[in-house]
Amino acid sequence: MRILQVSAFCVLLAAVAIAQQAPPGLVSIQEVAQGLPADGSRWLTFGGNYANHRHSPLTEITPDNVTRLQPLWTFQTATLGNFETTSLVRDNVLYVTGPQNLAWAIDARTGRQIWRYRRELPSNLTACCGLVNRGFGVLGDKLFMTTLDAHLIALDMKTGAVVWDTTLDDYKVGHSSTIAPLVVKDKVIVGAAGGEYGIRAFIDAYDAATGKRAWRFYTVPAPGEPGNDTWAGDSWKTGGASVWVTGAYDPEQNLLLYGIGNPGPDYHSESRKGDNLYSNSLVALDADTGKLKWHYQFTPHDVHDWDATEVPILADLPIGGQTRKVVMFANRNGFYYTLDRTNGKLIVGKPFVTTTWAKEIGADGRPVLIAGHTPDEKGEVTCPDLTGGTNFWQPSFDPSTRTFFVNAREVCMTFISWKPEYKAGERYTGGAGQRVRESESPAWGALRAIDPATGNRKWEFKFLSPSTSGILTTASGLLFSGDADGNLLALDSRSGKLLWRYQLGAPLHGTSPTTYMIDGRQHLLVPSGTTLTAWALK
Amino acid sequence: MTWRVFAAVFVSWVLAWAAPAAQTTPTKNPLEGNPDAILAGMGGYRVRCADCHGLDGRGVRGPDITQVWNAGRTDDGLFKTIRSGVTGSEMPAFAAPRTSDRDLWQMLAYLKTLAAPAPAAPVRGNAENGAKVFRTLCAACHKVDSTGGRLGPDLSRIGSARSREVLLARIRRGSEDFRAGFAPVTVTTPEGASIQGVKKNEDLFSVQIMDTRERIQGYEKDKVKAVENGRTSAMPVFGPDRLSDSDLDDLLRYLLTLRGFDPTVKQQ
Repeated sequence: MRILQVSAFCVLLAAVAIAQQAPPGLVSIQEVAQGLPADGSRWLTFGGNYANHRHSPLTEITPDNVTRLQPLWTFQTATLGNFETTSLVRDNVLYVTGPQNLAWAIDARTGRQIWRYRRELPSNLTACCGLVNRGFGVLGDKLFMTTLDAHLIALDMKTGAVVWDTTLDDYKVGHSSTIAPLVVKDKVIVGAAGGEYGIRAFIDAYDAATGKRAWRFYTVPAPGEPGNDTWAGDSWKTGGASVWVTGAYDPEQNLLLYGIGNPGPDYHSESRKGDNLYSNSLVALDADTGKLKWHYQFTPHDVHDWDATEVPILADLPIGGQTRKVVMFANRNGFYYTLDRTNGKLIVGKPFVTTTWAKEIGADGRPVLIAGHTPDEKGEVTCPDLTGGTNFWQPSFDPSTRTFFVNAREVCMTFISWKPEYKAGERYTGGAGQRVRESESPAWGALRAIDPATGNRKWEFKFLSPSTSGILTTASGLLFSGDADGNLLALDSRSGKLLWRYQLGAPLHGTSPTTYMIDGRQHLLVPSGTTLTAWALK
Repeated sequence: MTWRVFAAVFVSWVLAWAAPAAQTTPTKNPLEGNPDAILAGMGGYRVRCADCHGLDGRGVRGPDITQVWNAGRTDDGLFKTIRSGVTGSEMPAFAAPRTSDRDLWQMLAYLKTLAAPAPAAPVRGNAENGAKVFRTLCAACHKVDSTGGRLGPDLSRIGSARSREVLLARIRRGSEDFRAGFAPVTVTTPEGASIQGVKKNEDLFSVQIMDTRERIQGYEKDKVKAVENGRTSAMPVFGPDRLSDSDLDDLLRYLLTLRGFDPTVKQQ
């Protein structure tokens, strides 16, 4: 009798399943590699696509109707700390990482939680700069997430249960990880943060199925490896050069392109004479082996904490009468770069904010330095400040107009430095900075549209104070971003004209809105403070 | 080991952990004058404190702390202030284990090297008359111990936050640096009326002010004629024509008694 009941239940289930729309299967690598599809049904990787365009093909929301946006729902994290995440979406479900090692699956129709994951933080955690996370990677039925205590974990997409858990390195000596994993072929690419703790950082690739490490690229070469001679003495051992912002992937060349953080100690020049490779560089690695193909160092021997952990954007652009395969990069040091991504050679290098430390980028690709900008105990004033001309918040690229958009900062700082002592697990910076008084040098910001073929500015939208928001553009000619005062902004991406705004109560910080389709309506998802808000047209 | 012996050992172990010997904070900085501690303390101070108190300790958003010893504070009192923060102010607590006792003493050892020397000139002025001068000239805009106006900063703690020299310069010569929340601003209404006040907040689209009648109000920029920032502080300059040298001495003497607590009561 019982067997009969179970059989009947199974038949019923099968009938219901046939009546319902068939669910999509596992997330394939082809789906991830496709980027943002025209139907808006998914957002499966950090920058929308491997080239990090953060540019959506969706056109339902336009410059003409954007004023009709209305909020649909709000989701609160109910914890301390702010969102810096890029949410993924598939089959009407959002996959969201948050501060404090939290993550959720959320019904994209209603904002209601489906599952929640929480990982207990060690009490002696040393993560330097906020208990944040920048998003999931996804493949098959697994979500991949780095953790503040320097693990990479795989979660079951349907339940949030841990499938595997791999240690990147020891958090007790300063390693942590906040980066959104990049999934390429069968591998999960991540990096180690902790540049303020004298770690020796790395980029790792892990097998998506098992969590087993496939390769490691140390961002500071050891003795016997090329580049080690750019570190005086044993300074390479505490060289930092952390990796905390997701790079790009060029499938044609099978190249990973990742920006590398500052050398340690951050400010004290004498502690690490030399260029300090591969700090402050863009590295191009073979995605299968992790072998270095080329590198370009934006700031050799950096002494201002100008991590090159900004987001690289890839495109093929007509420059000088030929199509060039380029990588675009607005750097914390105040210069905008267009590089040839087949060899790392400089095509364009031009300031996009006020820079006082270098006159220009020379023909050899190195900055032409202006004297007097090495911090000492008395202090020296340099522009930009330590947060930089821009930073880890995401730029966007509109291929139809070939325009690069970035939130830029105009801020100067007094940098000071002293000889630090290295103690494992403690801060190792050898300096600090203090903003120049407002009356002497006001701090402000602007969202700038840049022509990547020349580095020239097309337009700018000025802010009272510098914004730390990422940028989303759409094929309808819209640009979504935020200011430092909590305003969500919609601009015309061709002119920079303000079209619509809404006061969110907290700024977008280090993240941008994203957009996708739910039930035939274009949605805009906005992470700010502890809140996600979904919007659509009335 | 029998279970009784084991239990006795366990209980004594628990008690040893549960009731450690009472720890006391030294009254005098054990690291004062120690060159290594001063160097380490400089790093700690510059990373943790300089943003508010300034690289030279003379105050930016936070108070001038080069005067704290002259103002009668003690090493152990300062240690406790940094450890616990200051309730009702922006001064945070620097708690263990992230900030160790040694970190705190090192920072104080460094801060001592920035400390202003004890004033050579004898203390001048009559605080009692200074209080009267304050009530006449200052109290319309400044509050002390819940009495006075709101347009300017509350001065109930100014004696422990600013030196005599800084206060004197501020009164006699004014300042072009504005504390957040006190920058001068004028809003012109669509009808052409001017509303003067100090700016409490602003973004691209709106400004929030306290006007000279102490009305707090927000204005949308696209609905008013103009929003103009003032270049000089809303506080007038008090030259000798408005405030005699003698009354200035008295006023400064009075202001330096304002420490947010009763100095006759021993601080914990």
